[in-house]
Amino acid sequence: MRRILAVWSVVGLLACACFAQASQPAQDQHLAGDSAQSTGSSDSADTIKALMQEVKELKARVAALEARQAQPLQEQPSSAKPAMAAEAMKQEGTPAEGQTTNPEPVTGLFPGIRMSGFGALSYKATDARPLEAGLLGFRNNLNSNFAIGDVDLFLTSHLTSKASVLSEVVFSENAEKEFEIDVERLLLKYDFNDYLKLSFGRYHTGTSYYNTVFHHGQWLQTAADRPLVVEFSDHGGLLPSQGVGISMTGRIPSGSLGLNYIFEYGSSDIHRPSIANPDVEIAENNGQATTIGLFAKPDWLQGLQIGGSFYHDRINPDGGPLHIGQSIGSAHLVYLTPRFEFLNEGFVVQHKVQETGQKLNTPAFYSLISEKFGEKWRPYFRYQYINAATQSPLFADVTLRHGPSVGLRYDYNDYIALKTQYNRTFRRQLPDINDLLLQLAFRF
Amino acid sequence: MRRYCNFVIGFAVLASLLAGSSILAQSRQDDVAVIVNPQNQIESISSIDLRKIFAGEKRSWNSNIPVFVVVRAPQAHERDILLSHVLRMTESEYKQYWVKKVYSGEVPREPLALLSNGMQLEAVRADKGGIALINLADVKQGVKVLKVDGKLPGAAGYTLR
Repeated sequence: MRRILAVWSVVGLLACACFAQASQPAQDQHLAGDSAQSTGSSDSADTIKALMQEVKELKARVAALEARQAQPLQEQPSSAKPAMAAEAMKQEGTPAEGQTTNPEPVTGLFPGIRMSGFGALSYKATDARPLEAGLLGFRNNLNSNFAIGDVDLFLTSHLTSKASVLSEVVFSENAEKEFEIDVERLLLKYDFNDYLKLSFGRYHTGTSYYNTVFHHGQWLQTAADRPLVVEFSDHGGLLPSQGVGISMTGRIPSGSLGLNYIFEYGSSDIHRPSIANPDVEIAENNGQATTIGLFAKPDWLQGLQIGGSFYHDRINPDGGPLHIGQSIGSAHLVYLTPRFEFLNEGFVVQHKVQETGQKLNTPAFYSLISEKFGEKWRPYFRYQYINAATQSPLFADVTLRHGPSVGLRYDYNDYIALKTQYNRTFRRQLPDINDLLLQLAFRF
Repeated sequence: MRRYCNFVIGFAVLASLLAGSSILAQSRQDDVAVIVNPQNQIESISSIDLRKIFAGEKRSWNSNIPVFVVVRAPQAHERDILLSHVLRMTESEYKQYWVKKVYSGEVPREPLALLSNGMQLEAVRADKGGIALINLADVKQGVKVLKVDGKLPGAAGYTLR
């Protein structure tokens, strides 16, 4: 009995000792992971390259700081009472000389310009009768063909801790398979704080949620194409998608409601091609445009955004006799998480002809829902609707169009996505259209 | 005989308690602290604000100082805590999130990703608006540890562990 008890005690002690040591390898693993990651644990070579550059810059900065320090820092060993240790560190108060930080020197961490890009190869087959204009690089009068569409070069430069420059230059393929260069966005941005952020230059208007989030990168959006109503105006879209002027945005103190505002004032010169006839393009000759918007991103449901905007300008289509007051109201309800996407936007575009007093309203909406299955597959469904008056001076080519789109997106990796999409479009007094879209979208 | 058995059992229980407390102390050392520059007036942060900061939604402190977010590179413990406890994203989703965020023009760049906690400490020490997540055992002088939802790392119920 005595032996049994003695053996049991020894075994128990050994088990306890082993258990106590169990956390040590885990910590070692973290340390091992730390060192291992410098040898290429990141899946992206360019990320490693960028990080290594940052390492060099930080090392240089540390060396400069150390040289300036009057007294070397005394490293405190971590205490067995971590909360007390943390409190002690907090009470250290003012950092040593040389650590007094003006935000400006930190900008030394971000020299130069960062560039990224987006591209896509698309294939479209359609049974439209009569054939419609081949936009987005597709040729006119062909039932099926390939297109590059937009090649998007996106550049940012961090000037100071509050100022930055953003530039988006797009090489757009036209129906003749030639590329045209367009500066889509060029913004000098200055963020005073979360409540006031100013941008000066060429911007994408806040007339729709879609226009402020997805821009020209096909890879960014789930679907293979944009809903027609929020398509860029130079690709046949209905809304004025660009402006040149000043843009202000920021939070409104509203607690957990998370209210934000948008204000834009600028001018634009929209040229909108007819989607029915490739030879026709309307120059809107827009005057000064004002956009105001309000949206809420409540704390209690991460990913939810509800809001709306109002846009107004005056247009003189093709310099003709008609002068039109254009007002666009929009509302959106969006729920966006990394795995789930639910986009809903509604619009009313009102054209008031000054000469006749006639008011023409064009209601439109789109709704898109998608969910990610596993890590790579994302099926989606979209429905879009536009009902333009046939006597509309701007949207007579659109008239009534509505219909569903179903598609599947496959993310091969973090850079490449394959999309396949079927669109069915119902039109007023015209045959329905069936489109098949295949797209290889990527970023670089 | 009975006295001897009681002694052995008592000794075993005591050893178990010591081992348990050692494990607890170790796990507290594994807590991830939220550190900021000592010049930052903030002492405590809510988990909602922490998410907003690391998601790029809150970009300035109340004193109008721009937030300078520093994160660890992939596969570090702090990165895992950031993704699983703060942002609730996978690594791939995190990358896509920031591509979209930068491209929308909301932020000029994604958070600076660093390879070691020492570099994180230096970055936070160097910038008044700096904030980072760092293993408590690696916290050194010259930074301030924030309470998260009123609790310091090591305290019971601390969320970043």
